[in-house]
Amino acid sequence: MRPSPLRSGSRRRPRVLAAASAAVLLAAGLLTGCGSSDTASSGGTVTLKVGDFGTFGYNAKGANLFAAYMKLHPDIKIVEDNNANEQNYWNATQAHLAAGSGADDIQAFDVSRMGQVTTTLASRFTDLSKVPGVAKADWAPVKWSQGTARSGAVVGLGTDLGPEAVCYNTKLFKAAGLPTSPAAVAKLWGGSWDTFVNTVGTAYQQHAPHGTYFLDSGEGLFNSVVGSGATQYYDASGKAVYASNPSVKAAWKLASQAVAAGETPGIAQFSTQWASGFANNSFATTICPAWQMANIVNDSGKKNAGVWNVATAPQASDWGGSYLTVPAQGHHVKQAQALVQWLTRAQQEITVFSTPDVGNFPSNVTAYADPRVSGAKNAFLSGAPIGKIFSAAARRIPAAPIGQYDGVIRNDMGNGVLLMEQKHESASAAWKATLQQITTDTTG
Amino acid sequence: MTALTPPAAVPRRPSRRPVTGGAGRQHHGGPVTYLILIVVALASLFPLYFSVVAASTSQSRIAQSPPPLVPGANLLANLRAVWDYNGPGGHTLGLAMVNSVIVAAAVTVSTVLFSTFAGFAFAKLRFTGRNALMVFVVATIAVPPQLSVLPLFRIIAGLHWTDQLQSVILPSLVTAFGVFFMRQYLSSALPTELLEAARMDGANSWRTVWHVVFPVARPAMAVLGMLTFVQAWNDFLWPLIALTPSGNPTLQVALASIGGGYDINESVIMAGAVVTTVPLLIAFAVFGKQIVGGVMQGAVKG
Amino acid sequence: MTASTTASPTRPPGAAPGPDGAEARRRARRGRLYRLDVKGSPYLFILPFFLLFAAFGIFPLLYTGWMSLHSVSTLTPDQSTWTGLGNYTMLGHDPVFWKSLRNTVTIGLLSSVPQLAIALGLAHLLNYRLRGRLFFRVALLAPYATSVAAAALIFQFIFQQNNAGFANWVLHLVGVHPVGWEAGTWSSQLAVATIVMWRWTGYNTLIYLAAMQAVPGELYEAAALDGTNRWQQFRYVTVPALRPTIVFTVVVSAIGSLQLFGEPYLFGGSGQGINGGPDNQYSTLALYVYRLAFNSEHLGRAAAVAWVIFLIAVVVGAVNAVVVRRLRKSA
Repeated sequence: MRPSPLRSGSRRRPRVLAAASAAVLLAAGLLTGCGSSDTASSGGTVTLKVGDFGTFGYNAKGANLFAAYMKLHPDIKIVEDNNANEQNYWNATQAHLAAGSGADDIQAFDVSRMGQVTTTLASRFTDLSKVPGVAKADWAPVKWSQGTARSGAVVGLGTDLGPEAVCYNTKLFKAAGLPTSPAAVAKLWGGSWDTFVNTVGTAYQQHAPHGTYFLDSGEGLFNSVVGSGATQYYDASGKAVYASNPSVKAAWKLASQAVAAGETPGIAQFSTQWASGFANNSFATTICPAWQMANIVNDSGKKNAGVWNVATAPQASDWGGSYLTVPAQGHHVKQAQALVQWLTRAQQEITVFSTPDVGNFPSNVTAYADPRVSGAKNAFLSGAPIGKIFSAAARRIPAAPIGQYDGVIRNDMGNGVLLMEQKHESASAAWKATLQQITTDTTG
Repeated sequence: MTALTPPAAVPRRPSRRPVTGGAGRQHHGGPVTYLILIVVALASLFPLYFSVVAASTSQSRIAQSPPPLVPGANLLANLRAVWDYNGPGGHTLGLAMVNSVIVAAAVTVSTVLFSTFAGFAFAKLRFTGRNALMVFVVATIAVPPQLSVLPLFRIIAGLHWTDQLQSVILPSLVTAFGVFFMRQYLSSALPTELLEAARMDGANSWRTVWHVVFPVARPAMAVLGMLTFVQAWNDFLWPLIALTPSGNPTLQVALASIGGGYDINESVIMAGAVVTTVPLLIAFAVFGKQIVGGVMQGAVKG
Repeated sequence: MTASTTASPTRPPGAAPGPDGAEARRRARRGRLYRLDVKGSPYLFILPFFLLFAAFGIFPLLYTGWMSLHSVSTLTPDQSTWTGLGNYTMLGHDPVFWKSLRNTVTIGLLSSVPQLAIALGLAHLLNYRLRGRLFFRVALLAPYATSVAAAALIFQFIFQQNNAGFANWVLHLVGVHPVGWEAGTWSSQLAVATIVMWRWTGYNTLIYLAAMQAVPGELYEAAALDGTNRWQQFRYVTVPALRPTIVFTVVVSAIGSLQLFGEPYLFGGSGQGINGGPDNQYSTLALYVYRLAFNSEHLGRAAAVAWVIFLIAVVVGAVNAVVVRRLRKSA
């Protein structure tokens, strides 16, 4: 007789299944059991959710701004939803905004997203200009203008700013026979990007230690030069002018000259190799927004303390920085606006700036007179008076308008510079390809 | 889609005596076999080892070339940073870990169960529309998941499920991949005679599945279960949209906030990677005997 | 026979009228139940899958298809303008789309073919009687379980363009100049394909291994009696028995290649990941979907690329079906 599969089967009841049914029951229980514990108020307390990315520093050790605010306002509870990665943060946030639900009471945005935030998305946010205590004069002009929608509504209030200086490697400067004191170094290029690239850069490259470059990146140079123009990729009416704007073309030419002279390593910024470049002392300069000092400190490592210093850039320019917004879909708009106003006041921005491991530079210009800013020095960067250098730059940054696809155009332009570096394309060929790419990326 | 099922290449009938072995198990592995497998194992484990090394050093040490190859002294400090991911006094990793276990377990059990049911039906039962449905199922494996998150979020938001675990469990309960996998496996591993014998004994379809199909499917169920569990455990694109770090996060959502900033701290991120991956591999090592047992015991018994 | 292959033609239950009326009725009822079971149960078996799949798999697919016919921003999906096939025709002269399509094919071939061959060989080795079997299996699963971020970081080190990168160090040993891995077209695709192989070979090995367990040992015994060696057993017993599973892995790898996203994205790092390199030299179709949808906010065009991927998969599936049928006929 053939053994019945039925009986032999029942003897060996698969163990998996017992566990399986248990887990299904467990899951089912959770599905029905989980009540919604929304952001709703409980017992008179309002919970405000703050969505941000990277390091805003509000909750960091030494800043504790949320705790301080909750102490001032016992009826408010603040929780932070942070994502280290800005792209991942943006993915979630735009899904929430598009669906009209799920956004936090306060959402932070990088300036590269403000083009969309102040145009396509403008109606999803509340106007912050009329919130008590908010005054246009408090902000660096560029910060205020890039947070304002075409309608005049202020969609975002500035948190930190990215005023730029030139951070330079004194060891490499010395080896190439260049001066090393900040004043003498700044004098090398005076107020001219052209001198920076075509005189100082070429001089460095002639005597440079083998395998080192005058600049960390051609893209960084290009962005900084564009950033020092009064008009960049869009004009004040919202029209795209990237193809015809002479200051963009001038920046392109400078970048191509730096590439042709071998002043750049041809690698993308923030890549692993780029970080290695700091660890291994391969770059003589980087045009550094205030926030980039952290990269230099951490990537170079302790052994390079005192190797870097900071000099004033040829022209004032701005890169990066963020905004706080209050989405209209929130349930506690008034309280959220009040918190945004408080967080962007000079005192709070100064606290963030002076918090160890944070150091975001204030965009609220009334902060600059405070000794905690004006007297700030960076020990790792040879004790450079960074407070003075960066606040002087911040006041001079032109208030260039931004437009819907600003972030996309910037990305494509950066790729174009890399095409010159990596594919050895000529300045005009790369420019043509880049314009075509931008057209594709900004159409429908 | 019958084309996808070549007739079982090997004639097969239920064996009269228990066959302990699968393919080639009468052979012992020779030294060359061991050598190859050891090299492959080292290559497979190296990045994991490197994450531990990187997690125990500092960011500047990682940036240097050549990169570090032996552990440093910062492991505890970096793990500490991971533990405090939401600031001091924020959520602990405990909740996130429990949530991840719940999500991955529920998704795994359901995927394995429903894939086996459907895979069996597609492999061995005849019904109208079978082939067309199968082609469709296979093709849908190709839909890029990146775009599905937008309509999915509309459903979830409409149901007021944001920040609740069902929002990440429900969309993952079945996969087209799982159904296709079980169908292909059962089409060759499940002898039709076995099913006929069950019929002769008067078993209905459900008893047949329970007592004939499941035992035969065990090795495939075990592998599908492992792969599904890992997939669910490591998933982050959709959970990051449906859940929030401050609310009801899974491990991946909770750890999304570590190491960030203008300046990315790779050593802390690697510490986070160690925290997510190592429990997974330990679980497989511990339960591995059972899982591998399931695979080894083979189907053809019985 | 239309209902079920499991129905034994020799056993029509309830067909013979019994001597006893009650017995006959019981048999008749059992017969009806039986027919109901045979006809209905296949649908019951696939029902849970299709219910869930309809809500969370098919609905997003249709939604994506609908969006692909509109000009619409990811940020405002409610404000869409009908464009018919406009998004698709626009792809026709979009250089990034064509580069991504080409790269998807070449990276797919570079990674899938060696990957599946190696996996089959490894599964065969793992199927021997071995010490430390569990260790090897867990080790093989490790690449799949390791966070992609960790893997990306290590491979970024391996493929650095300077002399410090491990790959260039090896090349240096054999006297080859350092390669700018990320910058070059072929070199970057080779690097991405290597990451794919590293991550998915163990995965496929485990799938093959499960299928090998189901091959009856007596086939090998018979083959051994015929005096075949190990290679011949592998060739003439294992591989034929694994055919459905091999078909499965080939189809899934082909489709997986169409969806390739995480590896190139992370290989490019935070700066270049979204572009797949400044010249899109390792951009893939799925990566382009992501870039269009979440970075330049063109939901309609992203949806069109997603549907192109879907349609390619349908074609791949159909071609595969035809090939398998031909092979079977000629066999």
